[in-house]
Amino acid sequence: MNLPVEFSKSFAFAARAMIMNRRNVFAVFEMFFWPLIGLFSVGFLTRFLQLDSGAVSFVLTGALAMNTIQIAQLDISYSLLYDVWSKCLKHEFIAPIRLGHVILGAGVVGLARGLIVFAVMTVLAVYIFAMDLTTPGLVPLAIFFFGLFLMAAIEGALVLSLVLTFGHRAEVTAWAISYLVLLLSGMYYPVSLLPPGVETLARAIPLTHFLEYFRSFYGFPAPGGHPLLLGLLLSAVYLTVGYALLAFCLRLSRRRGILLKLSE
Amino acid sequence: MTLASLQEEGQQTAFHQEHRSRLYPPPLASAFLPVIHLDPMEPAIRATGIRKTYHSGFWRRRTHEVLRGVDLTVPVGTIFGILGPNGAGKTTLISILATLLIPEAGQITVLGVDALGHRRRLQQQINLASGAANFLWSLTVVENLFFYGRLYGLRGRALTRRVDELIELFELTEHRRASFDKLSSGLKQRLALAKSLINSPRLLFLDEPTTGLDPIMARHTREEIRRLNESTGLTILLTTHNMREAEFLCDEVAFLHGGRIQGQGSIPALQEQLALGDRLLLTFPDRLPALAFDKFPGVLAVQPRPPVLELIVDHGELRLPAILRELLCTDIHPVRVQYREADLEDLYREFTR
Repeated sequence: MNLPVEFSKSFAFAARAMIMNRRNVFAVFEMFFWPLIGLFSVGFLTRFLQLDSGAVSFVLTGALAMNTIQIAQLDISYSLLYDVWSKCLKHEFIAPIRLGHVILGAGVVGLARGLIVFAVMTVLAVYIFAMDLTTPGLVPLAIFFFGLFLMAAIEGALVLSLVLTFGHRAEVTAWAISYLVLLLSGMYYPVSLLPPGVETLARAIPLTHFLEYFRSFYGFPAPGGHPLLLGLLLSAVYLTVGYALLAFCLRLSRRRGILLKLSE
Repeated sequence: MTLASLQEEGQQTAFHQEHRSRLYPPPLASAFLPVIHLDPMEPAIRATGIRKTYHSGFWRRRTHEVLRGVDLTVPVGTIFGILGPNGAGKTTLISILATLLIPEAGQITVLGVDALGHRRRLQQQINLASGAANFLWSLTVVENLFFYGRLYGLRGRALTRRVDELIELFELTEHRRASFDKLSSGLKQRLALAKSLINSPRLLFLDEPTTGLDPIMARHTREEIRRLNESTGLTILLTTHNMREAEFLCDEVAFLHGGRIQGQGSIPALQEQLALGDRLLLTFPDRLPALAFDKFPGVLAVQPRPPVLELIVDHGELRLPAILRELLCTDIHPVRVQYREADLEDLYREFTR
């Protein structure tokens, strides 16, 4: 394997995503508008409800997670959606690339954009809504962000698999999937409030454990213990399965002609 | 120097020498492409028994069998045309050969590589352009070429040099900073061709390359394709339903109809194979002469439609004087003689009916 050549292939996707973001003013708008709307609406709600410091941090953690995952996940999904919308998907897959090049290249941009959104929102949450960062400290915050990014990568792989299997009809999942996952993972509440069957489902989602890990610093202990380890293990499993699923769906789309249909 | 500027025949040799090295620069070929050693006698493509069926519908499954056992051999260095009516499966076939689609059955060897088993090894050596040129809308000409160049493993100065060469070759210099959605159809097509050469392919697939272009641009594109083949020896497989285009470009053609290749070969060979002769139309004043035209040497068929007599002959130019001499010996002389050589359209009608 020629590493510089492999890197060049991944860099192609990263460079292209950066150009698309830079050139499209709405991409910058999308990056900050919805996250800030989410942060301010939830932040003011905590003031209205006169929540204590721990509860405020608990709720704002959900707001941070929701918007960071959404931004990072969209960048990964856009890696192929741009080509679907431009009807040029076949030009990518006639080239000698692997799905890993696509995911890695787009993931780097998703990581960067997610980090910017996460940082801006964290600063605003601390200074405007008095979110407590001194208790958990910076290292848990960085680990939490890493967990959010892993979740975004899993969701991105799922969205791409659905688009390659069902074509244009599945595009809507790019925007819907993050909210569904967050709803199940306890966006603004502990998952113990969910009905028993749904709670079991929630415990199978890595994000549930990353949220419980970070919220444990605010006096909300994780029921199962070792939430970070569980989250990382589940993420590793889902990333492996997600990549295999994506490779399978790409092969299926070559077999069923979806790849061509998405290029017409 | 650009392709379009090379009008004079005398410049062709210089053009060949200059552009062969520019289109296939040795550093690119040696540094980035795994070399596939191809036996000169080995065809560029050998496909046998390709079958492809599309399935649609979730609750009520519908099937559409597009290819029903296609056999195809494409010689190295030729421009090979796949002809057929709309919906015949030309795009499906070219997509299978270009590794974009997986067939249900069949064996495909492209450039000596098993195309179904070693797709990625082959992909380094092939490329594709289609008539409906589509690329990312907000990327400029140069950014699009850089993107695709990187996908083929090009980088650094080699990539920059390659992009500059192609931009100059396809006369895109003044549009290099224009975004794709601002380009005219002709410029988009030129970009598509430039992109298709970014990896210095040994085999190029062109799917209806002049669809949607105005006649002048279509002609210009055809000339570029022809010159590309002549200057580099690049094997080109194209699909079209434009017979004039196929006649102008193709060394060999194959007719795809009913899911199978109905005939394959050079145009003269196919005409000979079908005994598809030239057409003589003789118009008489009122009635037709009572001559046994079918006994005349070289006459393949006689179709009397008074007052017109249609003769199909093996070689029109050769047979016409003798036929006219016989007619002048009778008291019924033709008032009008029309002569038309058999062309690809006749072959197309024969193979696709």
